[in-house]
Amino acid sequence: MSYLPCGTYFESYLEEQKWWRTPFIKGKMILMLVLLVALPWLIPKDWVSVVCNVNYYILAALGVQLLIGYCGQITLGHAAFVAVGAYCSAMMVLFLPWPGFMVENGLAYPLSVLCAGFMAGFWSVLFGLPSARVKGFYLIMTTMAAQFITVPLVITQYVSRIGGRGHYFQLPPGTIKIGPVEIGTDSALDLGRLGIWDFDADTKVYYWSLFLVLLCLLAMGNLVRSKVGRAWVAIRDNDIAAETMGVDIIWYKLLAFFVAGFFAGIAGAFYASSIAFVSPEHYGWEFSLIWVGVILIGGVGSIQGLVFGSAFFVIIIEVLQRLLGYLSEGFEQSFPTLGVVLMKFVFFRDTAFGLAIILFLIYEPNGLAYRYWQLKNYFNLWPFSYTGKGH
Amino acid sequence: MSEVILEARNIFLSFHGVAALTDVSFRVNKGEIFSIIGPNGAGKTCMMNCINGLYKPQKGKLFFKGKDITGMPPHRRATLGLSRTFQKIELFGGMTVLDNIRLGRHMHIRTGLLASSVYWGRNSREEITHRKFIEEEIIDLLEIEAVRGEVTGMLPYGLQKRIELARALALQPDVILLDEPLAGLNLEEVEDMARFIIDINEDQRWKVTCVLVEHDMGVVMDLSDRVMTLNFGVKIAEGTPQEVQENPEVIKAYLGEEEDLYATRR
Ligand SMILES: Nc1ncnc2c1ncn2[C@@H]1O[C@H](COP(=O)(O)OP(=O)(O)OP(=O)(O)O)[C@@H](O)[C@H]1O
Ligand SMILES: [Mg+2]
Repeated sequence: MSYLPCGTYFESYLEEQKWWRTPFIKGKMILMLVLLVALPWLIPKDWVSVVCNVNYYILAALGVQLLIGYCGQITLGHAAFVAVGAYCSAMMVLFLPWPGFMVENGLAYPLSVLCAGFMAGFWSVLFGLPSARVKGFYLIMTTMAAQFITVPLVITQYVSRIGGRGHYFQLPPGTIKIGPVEIGTDSALDLGRLGIWDFDADTKVYYWSLFLVLLCLLAMGNLVRSKVGRAWVAIRDNDIAAETMGVDIIWYKLLAFFVAGFFAGIAGAFYASSIAFVSPEHYGWEFSLIWVGVILIGGVGSIQGLVFGSAFFVIIIEVLQRLLGYLSEGFEQSFPTLGVVLMKFVFFRDTAFGLAIILFLIYEPNGLAYRYWQLKNYFNLWPFSYTGKGH
Repeated sequence: MSEVILEARNIFLSFHGVAALTDVSFRVNKGEIFSIIGPNGAGKTCMMNCINGLYKPQKGKLFFKGKDITGMPPHRRATLGLSRTFQKIELFGGMTVLDNIRLGRHMHIRTGLLASSVYWGRNSREEITHRKFIEEEIIDLLEIEAVRGEVTGMLPYGLQKRIELARALALQPDVILLDEPLAGLNLEEVEDMARFIIDINEDQRWKVTCVLVEHDMGVVMDLSDRVMTLNFGVKIAEGTPQEVQENPEVIKAYLGEEEDLYATRR
């Protein structure tokens, strides 16, 4: 918690436990919301899908943050649960005999998102069961087993055989409908007196992702400041003391796995809809690693850190890729070989990511969120920075 | 006689064949301060861990409030009203003081997963009631107002000990196990802590039965209603402080020369 500006006092416990505790913070948050809603019109069109990708990373890494950052259960197989969510949602939409009115009113897909959450949650609990007995390094191995059992074996070999569409398949346009809005196609929305607004596919995906991110982050934020979240953090900090204080640690660890899996399932269901395509390749083990890296960069045990980390990672990679693209295009005419060489550097984006993690671990192990916290305190305490620390 | 709240019957505990406790039995009466003393390595902490459920004794039975708790996991014992502090501080280092104490109220909070993720209405109201309890009953009693928002890992040792007591109290236990609550404190802090122990034991609001393990003989003899002495895992004496001090075996095993009795601190 950061220090409040001088002269801010609370007169009741209710005031103190509010989300937005001062008018200034309230203003800031409302401004942020407005900016988020207006974002597709504020940035170049081809960046909207990048922001969607940021949101996807936030959703996917949320469970990783919960498990590693809050509950102290290191997981290296989270992509498996995202995959379960994606396949569950896609297959439900495609293969279930939905009653006509549900398809027409766009209820099928939202319902499948919820089911994807539960499905991935229970799948995650299954692989969380060893956490009752093992800790640390051994748990990492069992979560990796989740990755290798789920994606290459269960999903590739068995699940994707259902329906006979092959390992990867498309979600035809029109199958993904939320209420009256079709995701994945360009369409115009008639707002009556406000006129007709054009929404291209990316913008719609953006709003869908924004909705999910806000909902999930709000739920997560509330969880970590109430009974359940405190029990998780207690298990992370000192499981023996937690048990002594009446926390059923096995139950709460499994609950953490369930909730983390639930978020992963939602992330998967979102991703499947955003690219209208499912394929095991999108859920390889490297993604499990990337999401751990994202929270390392952003800050372990911080929701803000998760957002910063996801944005940092996705945007840096995008910028690198575009830069190399432009460069190789520009030089293609004059120096044909240079362009080829530069294209090869595209593969260095993974290297850049690895380098970023190493640099962060060395120079800012608390992540971007900590830097942001320091910055906020600096302004809140200015000019009497020394009064911040009591005793 | 007063009612027995905690009873250990013939506890036997060994680690890979090395006996840590041999045939230890005792009864703690409701409302008293019962002390366990003994030289280093006598098995006092082991006894606490057995009562609390962190160690499983190979033989023997434990009864708490008339229930057999021998096979119960620690968190179930906590829900029955058994709380403790640790010899080596075991706080949640990354949480604030307030959150540490709030965790002590874990079993009193009812909201489940779904309600927690909303934090509106019932959950919010419940958090406020518990906050009120913590502020008015615990933080006020233990005089830790100034540090309530600090992260515990950073606090000085003496305060950490006090916060551990606060967290244990938040459970509203019937019996509290205090494992060397005075170790490593300076004279002023020792006096404060001794006062808190008397407070929670005697105050109508709390009336907590205390099982105290302590090396500071002066405090032990002043506070305790009854004292049990362990030596190499064997119980060698039990009785009022007066009786124990005069027991020749205790003097031989632990207290040394009679003149040194109060020499440990004062
Ligand atoms: N987990 C364990 N594994 C093996 N031996 C143990 C374990 N815990 C305690 N012991 C042994 O049991 C004996 C009693 O230890 P215990 O910690 O109960 O002593 P104590 O009376 O609390 O001493 P102190 O006054 O130093 O705290 C010691 O010989 C110790 O080495
Ligand atoms: Mg000990």
